[in-house]
Amino acid sequence: MRKGLLYISLMLVIFYSVGPLLWQLITSLKMDYELTRIPPLLPENPSLVHYIAIFKGRMFLRVIANSAVVASLTTLFALAIGSLCSFGLAKLATRYKALILGFVLSISMFPPIATVSPLYLVIRSIGLRDTWWALIITYTTFSLPLTIWILTSFFRELPDEIYYAARVDGCTPFQSYYRIVLPLSAPGIFATAILVFIFSWNEFLYALTLTSTQASRTIPVAIALFPGIHEIPWGEIAAASVTVTAPLIILVFAFQRRIIEGLTGGAVKG
Amino acid sequence: MLTKFPLILLLLCLSLFYCAACTKTPHDGEKGSYVTIVFTHGKIPGDYEQFKRILRQFERENPGIRVVDRTLPSSTDEQHQFYVINLDAGSKDFDVLSMDVIWVPEFAMAGWLRDVSGLLSESELHDIFPGPLEAVTYMGKRYAVPWYIDAGLLYYRKDLLDDIGAKPPKTWDELVRTARLITERSKGIYGFIWQGKQYEGLVCDVLEYLWSHGGNVLENGKVVLHSPENVRALTFMRELIVRDRVSPEIVTTLVEESSRHIFGNGRAVFMRNWPYAWNIFERDGSPVKGKIGVAALPSAAGHPSASTLGGWQIGINRHSKHPDAAERFVRFLTSRESQKTLALTVGYKPTRRSLYSDADLKRQQPFIASLHDILLNARPRPVSPYYMMMTQILQPEFSAAIAGIKKPSDALMSAERQVQHVLGVRP
Amino acid sequence: MKRSEAATWFIAPALLLLAAVTIYPIIHVIYLSLHRKLLIFGISEFVGLQNFLFLLKDGRFWGALGNTAYFTALSVSGELILGLALALLMNKAFSGKGFVRAMVLIPWAIPTVVSAKMWEWMYNGDFGILNYLLGTKVNWLGDPFWALHAAIMMDVWKTTPFVAILLLAGLQLIPPDLYSAARIDGAGPFRLFRHVTLPLIKPMILIVLIFRSLDAFRVFDAVYVLTGGGPANTTETLSVYAYKVLFQTLQIGYGSALAVVVFICVGLIAIGFIGIMGRRVAYR
Repeated sequence: MRKGLLYISLMLVIFYSVGPLLWQLITSLKMDYELTRIPPLLPENPSLVHYIAIFKGRMFLRVIANSAVVASLTTLFALAIGSLCSFGLAKLATRYKALILGFVLSISMFPPIATVSPLYLVIRSIGLRDTWWALIITYTTFSLPLTIWILTSFFRELPDEIYYAARVDGCTPFQSYYRIVLPLSAPGIFATAILVFIFSWNEFLYALTLTSTQASRTIPVAIALFPGIHEIPWGEIAAASVTVTAPLIILVFAFQRRIIEGLTGGAVKG
Repeated sequence: MLTKFPLILLLLCLSLFYCAACTKTPHDGEKGSYVTIVFTHGKIPGDYEQFKRILRQFERENPGIRVVDRTLPSSTDEQHQFYVINLDAGSKDFDVLSMDVIWVPEFAMAGWLRDVSGLLSESELHDIFPGPLEAVTYMGKRYAVPWYIDAGLLYYRKDLLDDIGAKPPKTWDELVRTARLITERSKGIYGFIWQGKQYEGLVCDVLEYLWSHGGNVLENGKVVLHSPENVRALTFMRELIVRDRVSPEIVTTLVEESSRHIFGNGRAVFMRNWPYAWNIFERDGSPVKGKIGVAALPSAAGHPSASTLGGWQIGINRHSKHPDAAERFVRFLTSRESQKTLALTVGYKPTRRSLYSDADLKRQQPFIASLHDILLNARPRPVSPYYMMMTQILQPEFSAAIAGIKKPSDALMSAERQVQHVLGVRP
Repeated sequence: MKRSEAATWFIAPALLLLAAVTIYPIIHVIYLSLHRKLLIFGISEFVGLQNFLFLLKDGRFWGALGNTAYFTALSVSGELILGLALALLMNKAFSGKGFVRAMVLIPWAIPTVVSAKMWEWMYNGDFGILNYLLGTKVNWLGDPFWALHAAIMMDVWKTTPFVAILLLAGLQLIPPDLYSAARIDGAGPFRLFRHVTLPLIKPMILIVLIFRSLDAFRVFDAVYVLTGGGPANTTETLSVYAYKVLFQTLQIGYGSALAVVVFICVGLIAIGFIGIMGRRVAYR
């Protein structure tokens, strides 16, 4: 009975989460003239014409590559810089911990629309306009508050004894950070990695302002270029949204096992 | 495993780092003896290659000038945002820009555009539609050249009207009568759909009613929003929904595309929209192919029909490093030949009246050729540097009246007060 | 190396990057908020707190503030409850766990601009799938009452995975023997939750509350694409209003003042949460 309830809940959850994307998938297979006709729900002549259209000219591939590079590097840097900072805050005694955490948080408190213009001027003046680095630097910066807060919380959960034991064994602070604390906080690190990656993958406002050609354009900006002045190619947008969401899900699914591993290779408590 | 992982991570890092460093940033290199000008514009409909051919033709006719074109997101808000950020910063990154008809006075007053009054000859001035010319003029000078034009139209289902022997309506009351006759006969179809969402398009729609009832926004510099004609017009719009029941409630969410889809699925008798929808309706597979007619929008009895002017204009960045090359390009892009080519290939409606009697255009794009008279009567929205502020006041007030939140009279009174305040702002 | 010296080396890179990238924009915004800057006139003059005084009298500002507060309150509560439920569900042992976890992430994984347009079409009163499936004829985005709630529902759908992922990570840190010990003492599922689970994921809940409130209060894309702030400004949030003031009417000073107000409000919310949930939880 309990198992039954569990599986029903799971079905509901999956339908709730996946439903709209499934609808996008169905829409992407419909020809233009039946895009907004319901009933019928399913396409009469399913066709891949929209998928072919978005990959024509190979520009979309370049855009996906841009997003992949920017998101990957952002995640790496944010995790590296953020975890170092969190370790410092969590394990090493500092007097200004509250102040630092507060300062870090305040970075995320301004509405992006207000800061986008001056930030653009800064990026332009150092000549990074329309490059990957403009986005990587921006996204890493704006991912740091969340990263630092999450990881500080995780690192704090680990008992100090482990840290002291490592130090007694002769580890430097960096070694204990690297060999002990990081592996034990795997669930937190991977959760943060997923969130930062998705944030960079989907960010729109800064990408729109800081990029101008396909040299550095990311996926959301490319999709915003699909519509014409009046006409919106909804079939293509649906195809694009399915195409760019699928790799994310596969990535997460592949990294799932690491999260579970992190869990069971777990902490020695008590 | 744990010791190999960091190594893999490091290699991944280095390779990505290398890739990132290899990004080629396009610079408009000025090697050799040629000059490069950058043209920014929204997405060109249809086959982009056709458009590029026009650019290459310009380069052939003007050796020494290269044109690089940059496509911006089509959303007018995003383009406006782009131009504001860049032009305020004095950017020289682009030379020629394509502007929405409502931005020109604002950009001109801000000092972002070059005076291009001299680019059009007297005879050309007589050949261009008066509406766009008025829209690009600020303080007696012209700051952009009209590129292509757009105007609001009435689309109707010829087949349904023929069934009851009705003609396309000339007055609003006729439209309501015809729509009701048809919707009473066939269920599941809306009478009249238009754009009622709170956005710029709403102002376009509402102005058509205000004007066709004899009202206006500004008259000789005075704000005349709260006039009996305007109250009648706005009340009529609300009554379309609640009293006449020819427009569904969902009209308050519709924009160009959503209304186009509904009409294109055969679920409405009348629709107000821009000319772009025609081609879509005539495509193969369209449920309404061959069943659509277009006409000028109806008006209140005793007043002429009114249609809101749309379209885009070409201007020159005041900080452009190559103003002469830019001027040449602007003249080329808005020339009779280019406008004809664009009309035939991507469907841009020319701003030069003589093209509408051109034999090729009439043969290949008969729909465009038939629009001449409607385009002649297209009226621009208030031509003022404060228009962007005005529309931000008008949109919520009009939306409140149409959604039934405020009485039309109250909405207009509030709008009048606010617009007066804005126009009274002096440095 | 003393602990505090070592600490500096660990913390410095993050602080340097944050300061280098954000100091100029933030100071610039605050600076502008104290000026009357109208781009089309080319004016830029210092006016002190005048923009803020005007703000207090601006009816549209208060309307936007009200909409934003309502949106944030409902959105964050919805996400928290649903996200917690999802996290608890995903924490159980069942085959296909990894699959479910990946699926749950999908709403968060779709770009916001696509998501908002997608929901706009799903909410359409005529050809929208929502009315079709529910058999209703609700004017989701055009009715003054429903519009804001429709935006909230979309936001909850989109951001619940964020909450779920973080709370799940928090749940995974709880040692299973704590549960076994409590069960031996005779605790049922509700008491287990209240006395074992809840206290131990409090730090995560605090982070979720703070960051989700930050984001909900500053919401822009989702609402702007869905309704443009309409009908009649009933869904206009502070960010949407600020965007229109900044980029449409080009009143840079006043728009920056609005941004500063958002900053202050969000700061107060964060301080509030930390105060309520105990400073010990946030940082020891």
